[in-house]
Amino acid sequence: MPVNLGLAQLSNNFLICTVVLYSLALLAYAGDFAFGRHPSAAVIPAAEEPELVAAGVSAAGVPAAADRAGPGLATGPAPTGSVAAGSVAAGTVATGTVAAGPAVAGPGSAEGAPPPGVPGPGERSRLSWVPAGRWVRVALALNALGLAVHLTGVLTRGLAVHRVPWGDMYEFVTAVTCVAVIFFLALMIRYRAYYLGLFVMAPVLLALGLAETVIYTPAGPLVPALHSYWLAIHVTAMTLASGTFVVGAVLAVVYLFAGRYARRVAAGRQSASVGVFRLLPAPEVIDRFAYRTVMFAFPIWTFGIMAGAIWADEAWGRYWGWDPTETWAFITWVVYACFLHARATAGWRGRRAAYIQLVGFGCLLFNLMGVSVFITGLHSYAGLS
Amino acid sequence: MRTALVLLFLLAVASVPGSVLPQQGLDPQSVQQYYVAHPSLAPLLARLSLFNVFAAPWFAAIYLLLFLSLAGCVVPRTFRLARSARALPPPAPRNLARLPHSARYETRLAPGDALNAAAALLAARKFRLRTGDGWLSAEKGYRREAGNLLFHLALLAILGAVALGGLFGYKADRLLVEGDSFANTVTSLDEFHPGRAVSAADLQPFSIALNRFTASYVTSGTLRGQPSAFDAYIRYSAQPGSPARGYDLRVNHPLNVDGVKVYLIGHGYAPVFKITDGAGRVVFDQAVPFIAVEQSGLTSEGVVKVPDARPKQLGFAGVFLPTTVNAGGQLESIFPAADNPMVSLVAYAGNLGMDSGPPQSVYQLNTAGLRKLPITPRPLAPGQSLKLPNGAGTLTFTGYRQWISLAITYDPGQVPALLAGVAALAGLLLSFFVRRRRMFVRAYPGADGGTVVDVAGLVRSDAGGGFDDEFGDLAGALRSAHEGHEVTAPGRPAAGTDDPSHTDTERE
Repeated sequence: MPVNLGLAQLSNNFLICTVVLYSLALLAYAGDFAFGRHPSAAVIPAAEEPELVAAGVSAAGVPAAADRAGPGLATGPAPTGSVAAGSVAAGTVATGTVAAGPAVAGPGSAEGAPPPGVPGPGERSRLSWVPAGRWVRVALALNALGLAVHLTGVLTRGLAVHRVPWGDMYEFVTAVTCVAVIFFLALMIRYRAYYLGLFVMAPVLLALGLAETVIYTPAGPLVPALHSYWLAIHVTAMTLASGTFVVGAVLAVVYLFAGRYARRVAAGRQSASVGVFRLLPAPEVIDRFAYRTVMFAFPIWTFGIMAGAIWADEAWGRYWGWDPTETWAFITWVVYACFLHARATAGWRGRRAAYIQLVGFGCLLFNLMGVSVFITGLHSYAGLS
Repeated sequence: MRTALVLLFLLAVASVPGSVLPQQGLDPQSVQQYYVAHPSLAPLLARLSLFNVFAAPWFAAIYLLLFLSLAGCVVPRTFRLARSARALPPPAPRNLARLPHSARYETRLAPGDALNAAAALLAARKFRLRTGDGWLSAEKGYRREAGNLLFHLALLAILGAVALGGLFGYKADRLLVEGDSFANTVTSLDEFHPGRAVSAADLQPFSIALNRFTASYVTSGTLRGQPSAFDAYIRYSAQPGSPARGYDLRVNHPLNVDGVKVYLIGHGYAPVFKITDGAGRVVFDQAVPFIAVEQSGLTSEGVVKVPDARPKQLGFAGVFLPTTVNAGGQLESIFPAADNPMVSLVAYAGNLGMDSGPPQSVYQLNTAGLRKLPITPRPLAPGQSLKLPNGAGTLTFTGYRQWISLAITYDPGQVPALLAGVAALAGLLLSFFVRRRRMFVRAYPGADGGTVVDVAGLVRSDAGGGFDDEFGDLAGALRSAHEGHEVTAPGRPAAGTDDPSHTDTERE
């Protein structure tokens, strides 16, 4: 079936619109950091992280031994001042968060009786996810609109070429960034992690910009080696996993910076009232997000490698042949497996685990960019020459 | 675990040279080129097996040690899991408030009734229960450890499946020109890599003939010249004497004969030459496979060796151009399909050196004993001839055929590897999304006639978090089960905590 050039052109226009909208969203996220009114630095992280901290089960009027909000928060490297609001001991705010549970029915319980008291300000409500700040609201709107246009762009590209729209490097990058934004928006809405916007959208925008300029490939049919329904299975899994790993890597970087900031504040070398990182939650919370993100992506990646092995058996006559791309997918898998083991081992939590995760993401990036372009192998489908 | 972690990392690092340096098993030609480009470095690298990383002893040492440490860890854990599958959870600790997750409330139910209600609730949620005097302990999530073990055992099984394929499987290659056929025997295969336990008699006795091969290419736009479809129309018989069947062999569409799979992995042109020697005899009339040296125009190179030519043996080195254009005096091919095929040849006469010395490649001419014939280079179109000087003979380019290269593989480890892979994934998901957790309940008479209920939770491994929510849920459900019996007495500070944060939990 011939390529529908009109739709392909439409897809290009949509993706350029996406870049513009994401840029504006990025500016708005940055604007929030710069000009947004943050009533008290302490409030934001606490309000954003009600779920992770507010697991206390206190009955109104009945003595309660509340939950310690997770060992990580209680025994971490003692964040003090504003950052500590992410943990439990933050004065007035904490009343809202820690003891937010309406009676014993803690947050998240569907059957809890209405509390005799007034629910604290930090109590999670599924309706009130719209952020308070004007800048963040604008950013979110732009971001959501950008995502809609992004999705349309990917979709029209698929319709133009009559297949899944991740057959060459350009399409793969547009799809991976789309997954990253979807995952990030879901995370943001679920956990009100608005502070992530700047950090996620910056690399996404960079990747999309590169896709539109350096690695752009016009819509076209695929080489016979890619004529298989396994394209839809293997590459889709790899796209989903890669997009999620992008968010994981961003979280690891944010974690490292937030941790450094917290240590500096604890050592008295940094004021707790300045800097971008004062608005972030406690490093432990970010670390946990990062871990969960990798936990989500790792089985998909594993499945993607297995689907790729089945496809390789179908196309090349062996399920594993140490082709450079296979080798690097394996290396990536091994490094992320190291991260998961390290994170589960007490002594290796925190910074060292974050570095391992970043090494894993570096391997993923090298596989995507370096191996596809510089090393010839059976997987050389990038469409670059 | 730390040993396994180090070995795992080492495995990742050890794989890197295998992707950066050319590998003998994947691309032997590039290895040869590397030897030419780095004559002093290459032998050193070869001694370290760096051109064959994934079959190197040190690579094997790493993964065998890894699997050994894995087995040393997983096997005892399997026994422990088997024992604990029948064991009851441990008794409830004395002071539940000391546990990481705990709550306390009062009810009008008698202690025994409160415990019974709690037991019913936890049993309905598939907890395993143990009761004692005034306490209840419950455990759930044994599938986590089971999943974790399944994952690691499945990894061991994958290694076993790979070994199975390496012992009893084989790989072979065969180049096949249109109109030719071959039988699956060792002598008629171009390359044959048997597993350690495979002998020539184990090969499945099928035969394959190539009727026709077609390749389609994108004809316009920026992707012009990119292949869009390859079809090899073959006929095969599974056994000598059994009826031949037709099959459309394509990329991603292999042929399966008795568990052996045949793949289309390459294609090219084989110009047909008819050569008459100086004595006027037709000494050569066949298609010669040429190998593509670039993909956008499929410019292909090859050699023709005519050992039967007299008085001197003849040799030709040629270039085949599928779609020839003259670009400023330079001939080149601008499209991979054979729209304007031409052959350009250099002719040699002398001794081909095929009767003595080391075996020769059919794609290379040993020019040591040959003399280049003085002919003006002129590309030949199909049907055109080249007359060799001094009555040495005539070469006619009669046309071209296409060839395909086939990979033939037999791997009995495939299905076991797939099953093990599925098991690994299932185990991974179980170990990720199930958490092993305990709930403890103590009920005892309070000071004011009611019953005090202490609830506590303990999670074995919850690196990703999330038990906070579940504990809140469970404690809430327990309290609801005791609903309607609350004591509305004023609160007291929680006992048994020294964490300052807990003072914030009082709300009135």
